[in-house]
Amino acid sequence: MGPEKMKEIITDVLKDVDVVIGYKQGFDKLHATPCFINKAEQIEEIIWSPVCVQNLASFLPSLKAKKVGVVVKGCDSRTIVQYMQEGLIDRSKVVVVGIPCTGVVSVKKVLDKVNHQPIEDVVFEADGAILVKTPAGETKLSLADVSPDKCSTCLYPTPVVYDHLAAEPIKSVKAPEDVYKDVEEFEGKSLEERKVYWEKEFDRCIRCYACRNACPMCVCQDSCIAESRDPHWISQKSNLSEKFMFHMIHSIHLAGRCVECGECERVCPMGIPVNALKKKLNHDMKALYNYEPGVNPEDKPPMYTFSVEEKKIEEHKL
Amino acid sequence: MSEIAPKELRIVGFLCNWCSYGGADTAGVSRFRQPTDLRIIRVPCSGRVDPLFIVKALLNGADGVLVSGCHPRDCHYTDGNFYARRRLEMLKQLLPYLGIDEKRFHYTWISASEGQRWQKTVTDFTNQIHKLGPLHSTTEAHSGS
Amino acid sequence: MADTGFIPKEKWGAFIEGLSTKAQVYVPCLEGDTVLFRPFGKEKTLCFERPANSPPKSVIFPQSDTLFSFTFIKDPDNPQKTEVELKEHLDFPKTIVIGSRPCDAKGFTVYDRPYTETDTPDPYYKGRREKTTIVTMTCNSPSAGCFCTAVGGSPADKEGSDALITEVEKGYFIEALTEKGKEILQGPGVEDGKAYQGDATKKQEAVHSMVKNPFGPKGLGKVSPELFDNDEFWDNAVSKCVSCGACTYLCPTCYCFNITDEQTSDKGERIRTWDGCMYVHFTLEASGHNPRPTKFQRFKNRVGHKFSFYPEKYNGVIACCGCGRCIRYCPMSVDISEIVSNLQGA
Repeated sequence: MGPEKMKEIITDVLKDVDVVIGYKQGFDKLHATPCFINKAEQIEEIIWSPVCVQNLASFLPSLKAKKVGVVVKGCDSRTIVQYMQEGLIDRSKVVVVGIPCTGVVSVKKVLDKVNHQPIEDVVFEADGAILVKTPAGETKLSLADVSPDKCSTCLYPTPVVYDHLAAEPIKSVKAPEDVYKDVEEFEGKSLEERKVYWEKEFDRCIRCYACRNACPMCVCQDSCIAESRDPHWISQKSNLSEKFMFHMIHSIHLAGRCVECGECERVCPMGIPVNALKKKLNHDMKALYNYEPGVNPEDKPPMYTFSVEEKKIEEHKL
Repeated sequence: MSEIAPKELRIVGFLCNWCSYGGADTAGVSRFRQPTDLRIIRVPCSGRVDPLFIVKALLNGADGVLVSGCHPRDCHYTDGNFYARRRLEMLKQLLPYLGIDEKRFHYTWISASEGQRWQKTVTDFTNQIHKLGPLHSTTEAHSGS
Repeated sequence: MADTGFIPKEKWGAFIEGLSTKAQVYVPCLEGDTVLFRPFGKEKTLCFERPANSPPKSVIFPQSDTLFSFTFIKDPDNPQKTEVELKEHLDFPKTIVIGSRPCDAKGFTVYDRPYTETDTPDPYYKGRREKTTIVTMTCNSPSAGCFCTAVGGSPADKEGSDALITEVEKGYFIEALTEKGKEILQGPGVEDGKAYQGDATKKQEAVHSMVKNPFGPKGLGKVSPELFDNDEFWDNAVSKCVSCGACTYLCPTCYCFNITDEQTSDKGERIRTWDGCMYVHFTLEASGHNPRPTKFQRFKNRVGHKFSFYPEKYNGVIACCGCGRCIRYCPMSVDISEIVSNLQGA
């Protein structure tokens, strides 16, 4: 799947939008970076390969005043549907260029495989193999081994919403019941083990807010209660309870809204598995309200509505 | 258990002004015997209770949190408690994922006339928290604030 | 006393453990996939193979530092009268950082200028700085995004360090650079280092040439004032930035802070915590006015501070050590070296 078709589409789209958001090569071959295209000559810079990891749909609410074209993978497209459910974008002002995707790389996993050597070159071969060249030599990896966990259970390789499609649609071969296997596995641990696990993970948090700012559904941005002095939800102290509270704020505000793009976890410079909390919430939303975020624009997020008779909620006894 | 009352724990209660707060009052006026661990915060509706209130309380020294609102269909504002039910259930299921025993948090519906029901709820919940013991070590609870 | 020493590989662990009996020792530890500086403990997995995700800056400049505690005491006979009892926190333990990188160590010299080399030194920073020995390790290879040689550093730079360790075939060659560094040579298992000096130098030079130079053959030139004040340049350069603060919190040279009082009932603390110019609240004034309301203005400040304002104030010294963390860990792969490169104009 080359970027040629995509470039053609974007050339077309660019004629009637203010800007198209796509990918170009970043500071090395393992990193793509978003590019904002408003001139035809920029189109040559566009790339598409498994290093195109960022969720570009995240920029849409901040560009509401403009007409925007955006390149999305299947997972990212759910962001757009969720924005539609919540009235955060004007769909008529967004042109969606969808890319059917067979999986992206996790930069962390690739670097781990090549012992964190500087990357000289990355080549994606037709059969799904990846050749990574470093000063220490060439390493052959398979995409499946270095994909983020979300790819291994991806149900939406083809965008759920698009105006143009840059390649033939791909059908998911993954089993829906596997999506939350990790959640169920973690629930098998004892309370004490879970507590210790999260305390250890959150302890590394430096509260840089990368997870929050990269999150497409964290739309409060500059008005986040994590930074407000009044009400004083959390202080700037870097102790565990404040870090824990920050992640609770992030997670609970995403209950029934998280589209599982995994950006929060991907961008964490401290490697904290923050996405697991949101997956747990989504798992419960599915079980309680049969709701899956970012799939159907007509749906209503479960925390925005209610049923008089909740079929799945039982009264708790003491 | 010994005859002497065990050391008091910290339980925070968020009670709806229109029902459970009145229920607690009814229990008081009727001189029903109740444990004294509960600190009540009166809210205009159970729908006002942000699940983060509960998390914040538990992180900052509370050993248990009780939320009580009007019975479903009896909300003073028509549907506040319906929203509350969804949010509180979400939290109830999330807490154990983080290693916090879900028994430390309880939500229920008690009307202003149900003094007896209030007494039973508060007694049972307090007993439940005492069975679990303190959530924080003493030093931790203070540094968290 | 010799200024060099050598520790054979098999005695390396015992050496660190030995030092930890005399001081608080911070070492890079592996937690999951993340390397970060932690107090040494036998149960920790040490990792010297690559630079830590976050620099050891928090050892001397903690993310959250209690400046003093205060208690309000009411006079029981006269409830109108309240006295404030203050307790300062200026007691700092002897500390050794082992395994910082030359860029990390250079970062502290950037802090030293505003924090210690002034008429009003910062007692908290200065106190910790004086009690801390920085034992730096020569980089074995550059990492993604590194560009230290382009900003006056090198993978074996000595600036800011008290001792420099270079890994050679059979062990670790140590070069003491200051009096504090010489103390390290008294650690357990240190042998005479003379024989390894040559190997170490060779190694240091080999890595030097591997670091990329993003500024081209002419090197880093002067920032073009026209471009620097061109809003459109900045708007285009950082449209992809999500305005988080990972770059500033991971930066070995970012030293901005916030001071707040955290009080509950009659007790509280005045704390100093990291802050960063990438956050919208950083410049928010009490009136509600914000002089830097947009992300490009904030980003411009970050680049400006490092490559323009700081050099102007301190004899042309660039407040960037080229560690590459802001590039490596940027959610959107914003590359500061590319921006600075483009800022140099024609």
